Amino acid sequence: MLQYILRRTAVGLLMLLALTVLIFTLLRLTPGDPIDAYINPSVPISASDLEMLRTRLGLERPLPVQYFAWLGAALTGDFGYSIQYNGEAVLPLVLNRIGPTILLMFSGLVISVVVGITTGIFAAVRRNKLADLSLSTVAFVGISSPAFLTALLGLYVFAVNLRWVPAGGMSTPGAPFSVGDLLAHLILPAALLSIGHGALIMRYMRSSLLEVLSQDYVRTARAKGVREFWVIVKHAVRNALLPVITLIGSTIGMAIGGAIFIESVFDWPGMGLLMVNAVVRRDYPVIMCATLLTGACVILVNLLTDIAYAAVDPRIKVA
Amino acid sequence: MHRRNFGRLLAAGALLFATTAAVVPATAQAQTGKTIVGGFDVGPGGFQGNFNPLTATAGFTWLNTYFEPLVIYTSDLSKLTGALASEFTLAQDNLTYTFKLAQTNWHDGTPFTSADVKFTLELAKNAESGSIFAARLADIASVETPDARTAVVKLSKPNSAFLSVLSQMMMLPQHALSSVNVKEVAKSAWWSTKPVGTGPFKFVKHVSDQYVELAAYDGYRGGKPKADRLINRYFANPAAAVAALRAGEIQFTFAEPDDAKTFKGNGGFRVIEGDSYVVNYIGFNHRAGIWSDLRVRQAVMHAIDRNAIVSSLYGGAAKLANCGYVAPQLLAKDMADYAYNPQKAKDLLAEAGWEKINGSKPIPWLTYYNTPQVANVMAAMQAMLAQVGVNVVPRALDVPSYNGIVRSEKWQDFPLIYAGLQNGPNPGSLNVGLNAAQTPPSGNNIMRVEMPPLTDALNAAMGETDPAKADGRWQKVCKEMNAALPWGPMWVASRYGVVSSKLKDFFWTPAPGGGPFVSHPEKWDLAP
Repeated sequence: MLQYILRRTAVGLLMLLALTVLIFTLLRLTPGDPIDAYINPSVPISASDLEMLRTRLGLERPLPVQYFAWLGAALTGDFGYSIQYNGEAVLPLVLNRIGPTILLMFSGLVISVVVGITTGIFAAVRRNKLADLSLSTVAFVGISSPAFLTALLGLYVFAVNLRWVPAGGMSTPGAPFSVGDLLAHLILPAALLSIGHGALIMRYMRSSLLEVLSQDYVRTARAKGVREFWVIVKHAVRNALLPVITLIGSTIGMAIGGAIFIESVFDWPGMGLLMVNAVVRRDYPVIMCATLLTGACVILVNLLTDIAYAAVDPRIKVA
Repeated sequence: MHRRNFGRLLAAGALLFATTAAVVPATAQAQTGKTIVGGFDVGPGGFQGNFNPLTATAGFTWLNTYFEPLVIYTSDLSKLTGALASEFTLAQDNLTYTFKLAQTNWHDGTPFTSADVKFTLELAKNAESGSIFAARLADIASVETPDARTAVVKLSKPNSAFLSVLSQMMMLPQHALSSVNVKEVAKSAWWSTKPVGTGPFKFVKHVSDQYVELAAYDGYRGGKPKADRLINRYFANPAAAVAALRAGEIQFTFAEPDDAKTFKGNGGFRVIEGDSYVVNYIGFNHRAGIWSDLRVRQAVMHAIDRNAIVSSLYGGAAKLANCGYVAPQLLAKDMADYAYNPQKAKDLLAEAGWEKINGSKPIPWLTYYNTPQVANVMAAMQAMLAQVGVNVVPRALDVPSYNGIVRSEKWQDFPLIYAGLQNGPNPGSLNVGLNAAQTPPSGNNIMRVEMPPLTDALNAAMGETDPAKADGRWQKVCKEMNAALPWGPMWVASRYGVVSSKLKDFFWTPAPGGGPFVSHPEKWDLAP
């Protein structure tokens, strides 16, 4: 088992190394560098000043030298300094953004699960009636609506026109922190993030519940005189939830993608906004660090999964 | 997860959000005291996230609320006046500038002295500090401090742009920064955590990617600010800032022309329109080979109906340019107006042998402008040029990609560009884009303009420190540009800001790079 773990760990580390080479190379293949991102083309600035800046950032060195310099420092935990954030150390900058992203994603997920499951049950028990048709239509619209459209519409309607919630950010500038203020800023982006996911859950819940409701044990429960409410809640819903739970797990990736977009529209200070800004401004250290951490998480999860499989199925260790 | 637990989790989530919906206030919490919130770094004049004036290419409107330069442009950008220098004079040798300093303190109570001036200029001149002013301050031969209230700067050669460069050079406190290693200055956390300036507001905090908060500096020599706090909120784009303005969360922002139009006639807001001081031009890559014949460049000018574009796509809010300038005092007499004349354009192209030079082959036309307005403008010009047989294909890029391409040597990638370059308030701004000595890699003459008469005219104007003679020098530059067409000058468009009517005595103008200019932030007030 130890040998298996060591072998898988070594493969994981090699994959991580390959990821850094890939990202580094792809970044350098794109036109423009951090200095090019720094220059406002309309503002006169001397080339010698820019060259000095390029030299100070070490961008004039050959690419392999730059890569190994970065790798050497990264191995000691030094991921360098952000170019766009005034020389701020990259690692704490990236780590500080994980919290807001998880908060937004988790909130969106909770809303989508609650709304999706509730409406899915409601639609199933009122199959082919007006409520079912209406909810199914809304769900189709939700699934079909691109995030950029729902985000902008939501912003315009609820923040600009109705003024029910703030138009962006994570807190009211200058106001002391309060949970209410945080929730006021969170609720709209989280709700908008949940639309596509919630609609999908609703569809799955509805079809899963319809299937369960035709099962023998449900008929038996009804025959025994159990009230319809309890038949659905205690017998049908619990069994119908199984495929929905699988769906929720497998579509978390969708929530990450959506969160990146929602963060950009609502100026939510999470990983998505950080990454988008870093790419736009060619902030190499931030892109490398954020990608490396994300990749490391994925590889670590896969590694743990492989180890868990190996622990329960001895045949895997030998393979 | 056990199904029973999962159900409990769902119930808890539902309860949390039901409670949230019930208890969350409908609007954001009100700040205490008079707090002005604006998108001061939105748009081309802003520089969100930059706190270090030594590395600033823009963002001076905001930086000037807590830092101050020695000299500053007046609010109409017509001339320079004293800021931290109460008086300044140039000696007859055209090399020695004497600055008499204002009696004031830094925000931490330390007196501002000539030692700070010397420290700042030497730091800015030292490229190791990360300063992007180093080359532009290279003419400084010495900085002397005969007394605490006097600084004397001697140049090695006359430089008409020197004071203009100084207007963007925010004075820095020697006592706070002298202990930092020069090579570490740019990376110092001081800039974004505890900077000390002399302006009307003092730094409180920066919340990354969200906002910067300042508080009134009671000891400001111009009087205690009327607002208690000033907040610069960050936005991903101008549209997001406009949404926040409409929602009543901020009181000011830069706005794109299409957005600005929607506020006109709305009593709750005031639209500020001003000269962008950026001349838009069609840039001919002089090394691409297809633009060498002057008649081809003239044909491009005659093919475009600039009046129609300004009237229909800019709503009249742009001035036609026939050289790099539109300021009346800089315009030469008897310039060609390059009126719309497609037949003349065709004739010129035929005379020049355009069929052999390029014919109908598509010409990539790069720009870094990504607004719908510019997309429409370029589409209109594309159609007009196509009518005379010039087949251009617009391609909008992000700024780093654009810069990366036009600074390279691959001529075929950028035979033509649509761009802008700052042409004021100091007319010398155009020098870096047109002087043959500024051809990359030594300079920013990205279109590789190498025209000796134009370079001579620019050199003469740049060396002229006598204001009485300077305009004449720049008129010669203008005349040369008009005749030789190193670029196809198009227009200088207006830019816009929108202010809530609650914001009183607020001044802003769309100055290039955000100025700085005299705006008296200490007088800005918020109506109840």
